[in-house]
Amino acid sequence: MMTWIFQLLVFPGLTFFVWIAFAFEWLERKTAAKIQSRVGPLTAGPKGLFQPVADYFKLIFKEEIVPRYSDKFVFLYGPPLYFSVPTIGAAFIPVLGMTGVLSHTYDLLFILFILAFSVLMASILGYAAGGRYATISIGRLVLQYTSYEVPLILSILAPVMLSRSLSLSKIVESQTNLWYVFYAPISFAVFLIVSLAELEKPPFDIPSAKTEIVAGWMTEFSGRALAYIKLTKNLNYVFLSALATTLYLGGPLLPINIQDDFIRSAVNLAGFLLKTFSVGFLIFVIKSALARIKIEQATSLLWTITTPLSFLQLLIIIILR
Amino acid sequence: MSRDDSLEKSLKETTAGLIQYSPEGLVPFGPVHPALKEPEYFKIILEGEKIVQVIPRIGYAHRGIERAVQERTWIQAIYLVERICGICSFSHSLAFVQTVESLTEYEVPRRARYIRLIIAELERIHSHLLWLGLVGYWTGFDTLFMWIWRDRERVLDLIELITGNRIHKSYATITGVRRDLPENIERHIQDAMRYLTERVNFYKMVVNSEATILTRTKGIGWISPDVAVKLCPVGPLLRCMGFKRDVRVDDPYAAYDEIVPDVKTSTDSDVLSLINIRLAEVEDSIRMILEAITGIPTGPIKTTIPRTVPRGDGMGHVEAPRGELFYFVRSEGGNRPVRVKIRTPTLANILTATEMLKGHTLADVPVVLTGMDPCFGCMDRLTVIDLDKGKEWQITGEQLRKYGIEWYKRNGVGEK
Repeated sequence: MMTWIFQLLVFPGLTFFVWIAFAFEWLERKTAAKIQSRVGPLTAGPKGLFQPVADYFKLIFKEEIVPRYSDKFVFLYGPPLYFSVPTIGAAFIPVLGMTGVLSHTYDLLFILFILAFSVLMASILGYAAGGRYATISIGRLVLQYTSYEVPLILSILAPVMLSRSLSLSKIVESQTNLWYVFYAPISFAVFLIVSLAELEKPPFDIPSAKTEIVAGWMTEFSGRALAYIKLTKNLNYVFLSALATTLYLGGPLLPINIQDDFIRSAVNLAGFLLKTFSVGFLIFVIKSALARIKIEQATSLLWTITTPLSFLQLLIIIILR
Repeated sequence: MSRDDSLEKSLKETTAGLIQYSPEGLVPFGPVHPALKEPEYFKIILEGEKIVQVIPRIGYAHRGIERAVQERTWIQAIYLVERICGICSFSHSLAFVQTVESLTEYEVPRRARYIRLIIAELERIHSHLLWLGLVGYWTGFDTLFMWIWRDRERVLDLIELITGNRIHKSYATITGVRRDLPENIERHIQDAMRYLTERVNFYKMVVNSEATILTRTKGIGWISPDVAVKLCPVGPLLRCMGFKRDVRVDDPYAAYDEIVPDVKTSTDSDVLSLINIRLAEVEDSIRMILEAITGIPTGPIKTTIPRTVPRGDGMGHVEAPRGELFYFVRSEGGNRPVRVKIRTPTLANILTATEMLKGHTLADVPVVLTGMDPCFGCMDRLTVIDLDKGKEWQITGEQLRKYGIEWYKRNGVGEK
């Protein structure tokens, strides 16, 4: 029991993923800075590595302003709940071996629920805070969600069909020989595009387009709540990259055969980090090279291009098997 | 119906129209907003994402510079009008100086006219690149923004090398310029221009081929030229509708009679054509600067600067990067102006920009509204619009003084 709680809360659960989230933010800012010929974070820690941590604690200690017309209960206690969404999701991701901390037979269904719940939480938070920017933002968020959910589920279906299982550990196990990214490259590409939409990153940063609606549904949040929301967004980043790793890149497994349990776990951890950061890096580069599109353009792109492509991939899998 | 009546009527209709919309449909854009660098407020009335009406409310950056200029001597005034706008500061000082020169008989030396052209064109490049970078920012393309602003540094370095300052150049003076060109400047300019030509070609390729930029700019902000021309736009906004108007060609100043600009027009009247026109102007400016620096005549850079200016009304205009910048100066023979009136390009363009927005979506607001390259600091002169009362009036200094006294009497402050 104690081991289980340790795994859930410290490693490879909550704390581990929070630190990866900070590292992701650093990598995102540093990559963007390099591409845009800036320096990026520099002073806090070696090469500015602790800048996200410093920013987080700075926000924690700042004054929290509660708007008069907000739903105060949700406004104050919603952000921690929102924070719990990707942390619970991350506990299903296999890090050290083939099973995650909370693995069970149908955990992929739960992951899908978590992905949907995260958007629901965002809308609830935005409506609780009130404000016109939030209203417009949530309209866009929900419209975007309805557009990308179908291609998201279809792209996740490809590994499910290949492994004939709804369990993440089964999916990882059946990728021992060849990763699914080679069987289902279109699905992997669709998954990356959809991840950008889920993470509200360019070209799909429409719900939080800052030159139009300031910060979208996050406009009214400040202090502690904003710190939680920002951390959650980074955790979502990690969660989706880890999910892509698990579904398409063989999870933590590397093509090395090691007998010793401890060393194998260490190698698996290294493999997991390597793959997750690579997927994250790919997302950072894509988002740095694109401009924001409009919501109707995003909807038509997701419905008319990514959805048929995912169907095509499924068709190919059905024919070939 | 007189002009004032029709204006009042249209404002009444506008305010009446406001009431039918629920407050949720009204989105405030400014005075403090990430898309705007300066304080300005736009009431945007939406139906869903679609824009029904845009109402600008100007005056947040009003600093009373026209009045302050009257308190200063002719020479001091140059440095004050320059501070109206940070981006086109040389255009402001040049327009003022040329207006004053039109009142005097002093001749501007030929070399000074060439130097004025070089600085004016460098400023145009810097302003257009700044704007294009901001297009990247408004469309959420931060990489383009950072790259273009990095390249713009080359122009700022050149300006610093020549004038001693990066932004407020303090360079033009009555009858000439204040400093001569430094040595070896020709080589520096040629290096920078070669670099910029390369980069401008690259950006031309990027904006005309990158799919996300094209979807955000092509056909966006379209306005019928017949409607638009009644709203009196100036500068690139007018040229993108197919009107070939440019003060540099229509009424040449500096050395523009010898080095003639090639005025580019387009008939698309959308944001993409604005980008292409501005990039073409940058290319043309590069050509003109290179021509000017190779053919620059020797000689003095200024003649004697007068202390007083003969009695009379002077009018002058220059083609600032944003369009026609107009100055009116009245002198009564003293050592300071009696009245200075400034009409900046943004004030001329703002109604066209709000008209361009109608029928588009909220996502187009930043890129269309700022497509005219607004400079609200320039724009906020002495015009007061009070939408709550549905009135607009122009205030003279005397009226404002009386209004102030009456206001305090009415509110009982003066009596205590």
